[in-house]
Amino acid sequence: MTEGQAKIGLVNLSKRFPGQREPAVDDLSLEIPEGEIVIFVGPSGCGKTTTMKLINRIIEPTGGRIVLDGEDVTKVNPDQLRRRIGYVIQQIGLFPHQTIADNIATVPKLLGWKKERISDRVEELLETVGMDPGEYGNRYPKELSGGQRQRVGVARAMSADPDVMLMDEPFGAIDPITRDRLQNEFLRLQAQIKKTIVFVTHDIDEAIKMGDRIAILRGQSHIAQFDTPERILVDPADDYVSDFIGRGASLKRLSLSRVRDLELHDWPVVSDTAPAEEVRRALESSGKSAVLVLDEQRRPVQWVNADHLQRADGGPLDQVGLPPDAVVQPNATLSDTLNEMLTARYSTAIVVDSDHAYQGIVDIDTINEAVRGMRLAEQDRLRERVSPP
Amino acid sequence: MEDRGWWESFQTYLEFRYDEVLALAIEHIWVVLISVALATIVGVGLGVAVYRTARPRELVLAVCGTLLTIPSLALFGLFVTIPGLGLGARSVVLALVLYGLLPIVRNTIVGLLSVDAAVVESAQGMGMGRAQRLLRVELPLAWPVILTGMRVSTLIIIGIAAIGAYINGPGLGDLIFTGLARIGGANALNEVLAGTLGVIVLAILFDLVYAVFGRVTIPKGIR
Repeated sequence: MTEGQAKIGLVNLSKRFPGQREPAVDDLSLEIPEGEIVIFVGPSGCGKTTTMKLINRIIEPTGGRIVLDGEDVTKVNPDQLRRRIGYVIQQIGLFPHQTIADNIATVPKLLGWKKERISDRVEELLETVGMDPGEYGNRYPKELSGGQRQRVGVARAMSADPDVMLMDEPFGAIDPITRDRLQNEFLRLQAQIKKTIVFVTHDIDEAIKMGDRIAILRGQSHIAQFDTPERILVDPADDYVSDFIGRGASLKRLSLSRVRDLELHDWPVVSDTAPAEEVRRALESSGKSAVLVLDEQRRPVQWVNADHLQRADGGPLDQVGLPPDAVVQPNATLSDTLNEMLTARYSTAIVVDSDHAYQGIVDIDTINEAVRGMRLAEQDRLRERVSPP
Repeated sequence: MEDRGWWESFQTYLEFRYDEVLALAIEHIWVVLISVALATIVGVGLGVAVYRTARPRELVLAVCGTLLTIPSLALFGLFVTIPGLGLGARSVVLALVLYGLLPIVRNTIVGLLSVDAAVVESAQGMGMGRAQRLLRVELPLAWPVILTGMRVSTLIIIGIAAIGAYINGPGLGDLIFTGLARIGGANALNEVLAGTLGVIVLAILFDLVYAVFGRVTIPKGIR
C-alpha cells in the first residue's frame, strides 16, 4: 500500500444498542489514510468512543462494513483481528498481577513468538518509550507513576508491531504537565513509526496538537467536518464546528506552527571569555538592554546588562548575570513559545538546537508576523473558494 | 483419680490414647481436604458460570444460602436414607461440600465482578478470547477473594465434619459422640475434650496453612 491510501475504511457503519430507539452510530462512512493520526473529537455522548470500538469490534456493528487493508473484516475472527490492532484506553488497563515485561509481552505470547524474540522485543519497546528495561521490566504496574503506566500502555499496544493503533483518550487521566510531555514524545515517536492511528478525545486542543486530520463528530457519530487541523481552524464547516473550536482560534493556530517555521531574530551575543570592555561595547552598540553570554559550545549561560557590568567591575561575568530562561528548541510550538516568552526577561525566547547551541531568538514581533502570515494565507484560500481560479 | 484435677487426668489420657486421637485427627484432615477441594471445584465453576448475568447469579446464591441453613443433623439423616450414600464418609463429604459452597461461590462472584473492567477490556482489545481472559486475567485477579472464601468455607467444614460422626463419619467427632454417650464414665469427659480441642487446633492449623498458601499463590503485583 502506498502512502495516503485508505488504511481503514468504515462503510455505512451503524450501531444500535438493544433497547434504544436511536442508533449510537448512524450510517458512518469514513476513510482513514495510512500513516496518519486521525482524531475523533466531539462532546461526550456523540458516539466517538463507540465508533472507535467498532473498528476492533469490541462493540460489534449492527450494520455496515469495516475494511482493513482492503479486506472486509466485519465478520472475521475478532480475536485474530484485535491482535493486528494496537489498543490503548484511558484507564490503560495494565494487568496488575503481571510484571511490566509480561504486560508488554501479552500479544507476542498470544501470537506464539519464541521466548528470545519476545524478550528482545520487550527490551526494545521499553527503550522506545524511554524506560530502562533493566530497571522497569520486573516491576509491577502499581510501582509505576501514572505517566510511566501510560508509556507501558503504549509499548504494550505496539508490541506485535501493528500497523493500526486505536487510542481512546490515552492521555486523559494524566496531569497537564506530564500529558504535554507524553504528547510531544508520542508525536516524535509517530514521526518514526508512522502508524495509522485512530485517536479519540473530547479536547479540541489535544485534537489540534495531535491530529493529522480531525473528524469533528456530532450526535450519533455524524461527521460535522473531516479535515486537517489548519482547515478546521481557518474554515470551520458550520456553526457547530465553530462553537466546538470555541474562542481563540488564532491562539489555537499557534499550536500548529513551530519555531523552526519562523525566521529567527538576532540578539547581541558575546563569548563568556570576552573581556568586560568588549561586552560593554557590544551592549552599547546593540541598543538592547542586555547581551546574551554563550559558552564555548555556544550554549546560553547568562543575561548580562549594564548594571551587571558595573557591579562586576571588570571581574568575571558569571557571578553577576541572570540565568537564561525561556529556552526553546525548534520543534516547540508557537503557543508554547509564546507562553514561555510572556514570563521571560526581555520578552524573548532563546532558541537552541538539539545540542543546546544558540540559534537566535523569538520575540513578540516574530510571533505577530507569523500570525499575520497565517491570516493572509487564510484570506487567499477563502478568496479561492469564492472565485475558483 | 478423684484428687487429681481434670487437666492432669486429660494429660494422662492423651499420653495413653495419643495414637488414637492422632489417627482420628488425620482422618478429619482428609475429610476436610476432600470436601474443600470438591466445594472449590463446584463453587468456582458455579461462580464462573453465573457471575455475568443477574438472574442466575441471584438464584445460585439463594440456593447456596438456603443449603447452609439446613441443620446438619437433619441433612446427614436425610443422606443416610438415600441409596448409594448411606452411613459413613460418602454422605458426610456430600453434606460438607454443600455446606462449604456458599462462601466459595459468593467470593468467586464478588472477586470476578470486582476485576477492573478496564483491565478486562484491554485484554479483550489485545485479542484474548473468553477463556484466556478468564484464566489469565480474571481468575488470577479474583484469586485473593476466592481464597478468602475457601478459608471461611474450610472453617465451616471443619466444624460440621465433627458432627458427621453421628452417621459413622470419620474424624474427631467420633471422640465427642462416644464421650457424650457415656458421660460420667471413665475418660468420657477426656474424650469430649480431646475431640473438641482437636477440632479447634485443626482450625488454627488450617488457617496458618492458608496464610502461607496465600503468600505463595497470590501474584506479587496484587499483594
